[in-house]
Amino acid sequence: MVDLRLEATVNGRKISRTAKPHQRLLDFIRDDLNLTGNKEGCGAGECGTCSVFVDGVLMKSCLLPVAKAQGAQIDTIESLAKTGELSVLQKAFHKAGASQCGYCIPGMVMAATAALRINPFADREEIKERLGGNICRCTGYQKIFDAVELARDVQNGRLPATALLETDTEDGEVIGKNVRRIDAPSKVSGKLKYAGDMTMPGMLHVQVLRSPHAHARIVSIDVSAAEAMDGIEGVVTSADVPGQDGFGVFVHDQPVMARGKVRYVGEAVAAVAAEDAMTAKRALAAIKVVYAPLAPVFDAEEAMRPGAPVVHDYAPDNITKHIPIRVGDVEKGFAESDLVLEETYSTQAIEHAYLEPEAGLSYVDPDGVVVVVSPSQNITHHRHMLARIIAKPISKVRFIMSPVGGGFGGKEDMIYQGMLALLAMKTQRPVRLVFTREESIISTAKRHPSRTTLRMGLMRDGRIRALDMRMVCDGGAYGLSTEGVMRKAAILAAGPYVIPNVKVDTYGIYTNNTPSGAFRSFGALQTAFATESHLDIAAERLGLDPFQIRRINAMRDGATTHTKAKLGTVSLTRALDAAEKASGWEAGSPTMRGGTRGDLAHDDVRPAVSLGARFAADGKGGKQEAAE
Amino acid sequence: MARKRGRGMAACWYGIARTAAVDRAGAWAEIDDGGSAKIITGVTEIGEGILTVLAQIAAHEMGVKPEHVVIGDNDTGRSPEAAHAGASRQTYMIGNVVALASREARKRLVEVMADVWDVEVETIRTGNGEIWAENTNHRISMGEAVTFAKGRGVVPVGSATFGTDTTGLDPVDGSGNPWQAYVFGCQVAEVEVDTVTGEVQVLGVWAAHDVGRAVNPQGVEGQIEGGIVQALGQALMEDYELKDGHTSTSGFAKYILPTSLDVPRVNSIIIEDPDPIGPLGVKGIGEPAMVPTIPAVMNAIYDAVGVRIFDLPATPEKVLMAIRAKEREAAE
Ligand code: FES
Ligand code: FES
Repeated sequence: MVDLRLEATVNGRKISRTAKPHQRLLDFIRDDLNLTGNKEGCGAGECGTCSVFVDGVLMKSCLLPVAKAQGAQIDTIESLAKTGELSVLQKAFHKAGASQCGYCIPGMVMAATAALRINPFADREEIKERLGGNICRCTGYQKIFDAVELARDVQNGRLPATALLETDTEDGEVIGKNVRRIDAPSKVSGKLKYAGDMTMPGMLHVQVLRSPHAHARIVSIDVSAAEAMDGIEGVVTSADVPGQDGFGVFVHDQPVMARGKVRYVGEAVAAVAAEDAMTAKRALAAIKVVYAPLAPVFDAEEAMRPGAPVVHDYAPDNITKHIPIRVGDVEKGFAESDLVLEETYSTQAIEHAYLEPEAGLSYVDPDGVVVVVSPSQNITHHRHMLARIIAKPISKVRFIMSPVGGGFGGKEDMIYQGMLALLAMKTQRPVRLVFTREESIISTAKRHPSRTTLRMGLMRDGRIRALDMRMVCDGGAYGLSTEGVMRKAAILAAGPYVIPNVKVDTYGIYTNNTPSGAFRSFGALQTAFATESHLDIAAERLGLDPFQIRRINAMRDGATTHTKAKLGTVSLTRALDAAEKASGWEAGSPTMRGGTRGDLAHDDVRPAVSLGARFAADGKGGKQEAAE
Repeated sequence: MARKRGRGMAACWYGIARTAAVDRAGAWAEIDDGGSAKIITGVTEIGEGILTVLAQIAAHEMGVKPEHVVIGDNDTGRSPEAAHAGASRQTYMIGNVVALASREARKRLVEVMADVWDVEVETIRTGNGEIWAENTNHRISMGEAVTFAKGRGVVPVGSATFGTDTTGLDPVDGSGNPWQAYVFGCQVAEVEVDTVTGEVQVLGVWAAHDVGRAVNPQGVEGQIEGGIVQALGQALMEDYELKDGHTSTSGFAKYILPTSLDVPRVNSIIIEDPDPIGPLGVKGIGEPAMVPTIPAVMNAIYDAVGVRIFDLPATPEKVLMAIRAKEREAAE
């Protein structure tokens, strides 16, 4: 296809450039014009991070072929603070604390700018509707709505411009004050460079070949045809690992690339560095891998049974980690109880969905130091592991933590940095890898799916006498953080309650599913779902108010935990009191009394919306328009 | 009535910093020319606001203004180890170590000025970019004080390390001391359940959490609001589906996330029960914020329509099926 001559106005400047016809507008803006403020969160029109104005209309630039920009006026996030001064809306985001990781923020600022242009008097509900095409994984949106409302009021003169400034701390005390985030200006303006926004002179682009099988022996890998291709500077497989292969937060059971066998769909098998990403992608197709499929196991309980397929030879029972907690004698406790309740709870795997897909750069510096720049949540540990993998002293390995566009535990694993380092060493050129959203979802850790059987014995007065919990978690193909997740889950399983007899067993199990790993709240979410649901079931049976049953059992100052640790002050009853008071909770046993409660909310809730009756978009870009 | 409301609550506890392992962090501090400050520690922002928190802490400890604090370097080749960015440990571990390092840097400067002014070290105060001696007329800017110090051959630097006194767990009965700081919390959720479609809307959440000491209350609220919405995703809609190891949810078209239209009004109540061990009293909030949300919502669904969801997520289909099953049961 012939290149195209593109004439357009970008951020007020006329440009005339050649572009590739297959390019998306987003690539043209980011790669050719080096305007990296707008991000690629999904590449499929679903997240809004790439939102720009085309002739004044908000559009998702990942869906637009560059040809659509012919003769058009394009404004990116960089257009909003061209003079260096932030726009009112950007200042409002700063003031309201509306940015966290910042990755969604350029797109969010664009969408909010559009919203207030369409209706300068938009109320909170309309603002929500108009931001409906933009995902934020960090903030819970509340401070974003606050920011847009603040900007609206300043623009309309309802609030003075000083409302956007730092609150003065007259006494000079800064702790306990809402000091504005120091990183916010770089985020609301799109100036902050995440790893995927960074380039280096002579940089190569990396693509990864991934396993199509859940469990298979690798009979052979032939990279010769790929290596011979024009524009290919290097191909690596596990054969290129000079040191001791293996990473993981607890056990180092995962090779940088599959070694001998693959254990899940999406596992890295080989990686290619080329002059451009397209060439690298083409080379992947030229790598010949012969697989001999093995019997897979996809269910954690099944994997625990004798005779189940073995995922890792070192763990013939497929148990990654079992954590027991024992206090007293649970059977005796159940025998003494007036009421014994048993239920089974399960939770699903979920994706971190940080808006920034994994990305990283690696290069070998003039002193022979292998440098990796990536949004790693654990550069210290990664440095240790990589040094061992590439057989270099620690002083020759350097990790730089780039701004993290959301982590939530999902960027604790050294899932791609090893491949980058090997390619940088092999090619002696800087290399960069940027995951697509799909790659990020299929190949990186999830929250552990769990199945929990919980038995609780209580006295008639509400005191818990015994608790027996068994939780089985699907840890997937590799260990990652499973051991730690099982440990935290077990320690916190019985809740902040004094219970004389406790038996907890948590099991993390290997299967051929996508690996599970660290995820904000690390196992406590799964066990708390069971224990705190169970307490309400018990409260109903015993005719107790939910707050009351928790107070009856609450740990107090000086309590001993289920791991026999001694606590100092315990703020649990303060938290119970505060939530009860703030919500205006009406006491009563949880007997499906929603229909008769007198405490249903007033101002502290959002209005309910009914499907189909939400604010009607006016078609002028309130709803973001897909390109075609 | 097709739409029914209900309320539920749940409590939580959580340990701050690494679990059942000794945690540690290091930092360097310098009161720099012009009265600005430099903090070097091995970790950066993952969105939680740690850079701002550290700037506030350094400013507080050294007496400079937060906007004059520069933070680097998050680089294993250039900065001391701060370990990882997770485990709700940033404010606790890095915040405390930055406080200690800042104190040492300040002490160097204060000693010089006590000598210059011929006053007791204890009488010297710093704050808001100034340094002064109590009950005297001595008061200069931090920038001037740094010039004095350097004129005497002193660079006001400090370094510190902060570690936890924790142990592993016994492999048989699990006993051990996994954390030195614990937090507690409680949330109330109010929901509306559509008995025709099964759709659950969470309208409001009241979240009371102990954070030890809130360095930046707005940042704490941000963590609570974000944590609750992530938990809601798991409670009601998100589902990474696998069949024979292959996912059918590899994009955001299929993998549904909470949007601006799904989120409740979150009402945060910050409780401060200071940590007695660290120099600042701070603890943490990132993870505990999302722990009570799911059971609070499930308890609220039960309150509204009398069905209990044992199997997440509580999708409209699942809730509707449970409502229908309950109706059938009642009819029998
Ligand atoms: S990158 Fe365009 S909508 Fe997500
Ligand atoms: S701040 Fe919105 S995705 Fe992180």
